[in-house]
Amino acid sequence: MSYSMKLARLTALAAGLTLVASACGSGDSGGGSGDLAGKSFTVGSKEFTEQVILGQITILALEDAGATVKDETGTEGTALTRKGLESGEIDMYWEYTGTGFIEILGNSPEDVPKDPQELFDAVAEQDAKNGVKWILKTEANDTYAFAASQETSDSLGVTTISDYAELANSKPEDASLCAAAEFLDRDDGFPGVEEAYGFKLPDDQITEVDLNIIYTALPKADPCNFGEVFESAGQIPANDLVVLEDDKQFFPGYELALTVNDSVLKDSPELEDVLQPIADKLTTEELQKLNASVDVDGLPEEAVAKKWLEDNGLIG
Amino acid sequence: MSTTSKPPLVASAAAVVTAPRRRRSLGGYLFMPVLLALVLVFTFVSISRKDLDSTESKRLAFDYIVARTVEHLELTVISTLIVLVIAIPVGILLTRSFARPVTPFAIAFFNIGQAVPTIGLLLIFAIVWSIGFVPTVVALAAYTTLPVLRNTMVGLTQVDASVIESARGMGMTKLAVLTRIELPLAVPVIMAGLRTALTINVGTATLGAFIGAGTLGSLIVSGYSGNHPFITIIGGILVAVLALLVDYLAGLAEDFLRPRGL
Repeated sequence: MSYSMKLARLTALAAGLTLVASACGSGDSGGGSGDLAGKSFTVGSKEFTEQVILGQITILALEDAGATVKDETGTEGTALTRKGLESGEIDMYWEYTGTGFIEILGNSPEDVPKDPQELFDAVAEQDAKNGVKWILKTEANDTYAFAASQETSDSLGVTTISDYAELANSKPEDASLCAAAEFLDRDDGFPGVEEAYGFKLPDDQITEVDLNIIYTALPKADPCNFGEVFESAGQIPANDLVVLEDDKQFFPGYELALTVNDSVLKDSPELEDVLQPIADKLTTEELQKLNASVDVDGLPEEAVAKKWLEDNGLIG
Repeated sequence: MSTTSKPPLVASAAAVVTAPRRRRSLGGYLFMPVLLALVLVFTFVSISRKDLDSTESKRLAFDYIVARTVEHLELTVISTLIVLVIAIPVGILLTRSFARPVTPFAIAFFNIGQAVPTIGLLLIFAIVWSIGFVPTVVALAAYTTLPVLRNTMVGLTQVDASVIESARGMGMTKLAVLTRIELPLAVPVIMAGLRTALTINVGTATLGAFIGAGTLGSLIVSGYSGNHPFITIIGGILVAVLALLVDYLAGLAEDFLRPRGL
């Protein structure tokens, strides 16, 4: 009760601020020209770094096209964000195909299509009945991955998970792994990798740690040469890590696409054209850089979003 | 002279456990172990009766739990031993009259160890130093040095000045006064400090799970990150049982190591 009241007050505050902001900005972006002139949208996102950055990028791009945009980024977790989209509290947010297929639509991890496009098509088709449109599939993939420092990868000659599997079988002490509990527990995590690639790493070569520590532990190669990471993490370039290629495509794709409320897209089909250049530019590497600007360099998400759009000539 | 220099020291050593306790009856001694045994039996029965999924059967296997418990106890015992080796000699030194000028600075230094949250210390170690058993032991020791040091100092300074004076008057050397009068009289307070340190370390060792030191904390982390509340609850119960057991054993040691006549 008090929580929802707080939420309502916060929302009111956010709305008020947005009004002020758009009133200030209306001279050049709010009312005038642009494909989306006169339209208004609410953009949401989940709470973690890349989600908020993507939300801000979308807001700035829509405003640049003349729309009035309400900022509802930063909702805790997939479940609540998605609920906001279905109920119409937010009009759009960036979601991951793998998350859509498994978590939202409730399919089993074993049934995930290996081909990214097939996965996207399956999700888009199944989600249509919920009034949610999946558009603008990007190449940016935030999936599980194995990483090592550049030096370790070079000296051990490991660049794919198949190489790693071979090393784990022949010289397990060189294949030492740092991973978080969830990855070690999930059947579609490490046990699944071992099965798919045909190896078994002895327990004493596995160090169980918090996920965020892995990025800084790998350059030291102590106590582990390899580690579980999220592929789009900004700490990967910052710590000079290389991601091992998932050459048997074991991990499901977690590629970003925009989920939009069906009726919103019907009213404003231009939305897709306005945001298409952004989707074209978004790759895993770009996402790593964006995340690094916030998580490693400590810049605010909105400033990072604005600079990225300007640098790529997407607004101006 | 001695009465004017004592108060500031005692004032800085807040929250010291000094209450003397009498030895308990047999029933008093048996209550806690019986209760803990019952909780353990209940825990393992509920594990064996539950239909476990693959994660649960891995994390709740008897061998796995035993291995994590051993890691947990090793961390607790070794970090407490390190505290003992550091805090008691330093505590003795700081109460000697020649150390008076540096005492406030020394206490401030050990205060830092306790003021920094252990989880923060662990993560800093993980980034700038290493992960695993050794940094976790160091972080635990840093956190619990202060209570033992404080109790050592309070235990020694509370010894009645007239007792020391008469011992000196009888011709005892300063060292003899320390080992035969001051330390025996300070044992109950020092033991109380050690007991506090042990119990804190059992609880805090749980955090070792974040930086690769295993421990029963692994169960708690695995449970919440993979949405297996059953594993988290079992992990929590086991840590609580271990903490109460260690506290109980330390209480026994306190009772039986106390010098006769106190």
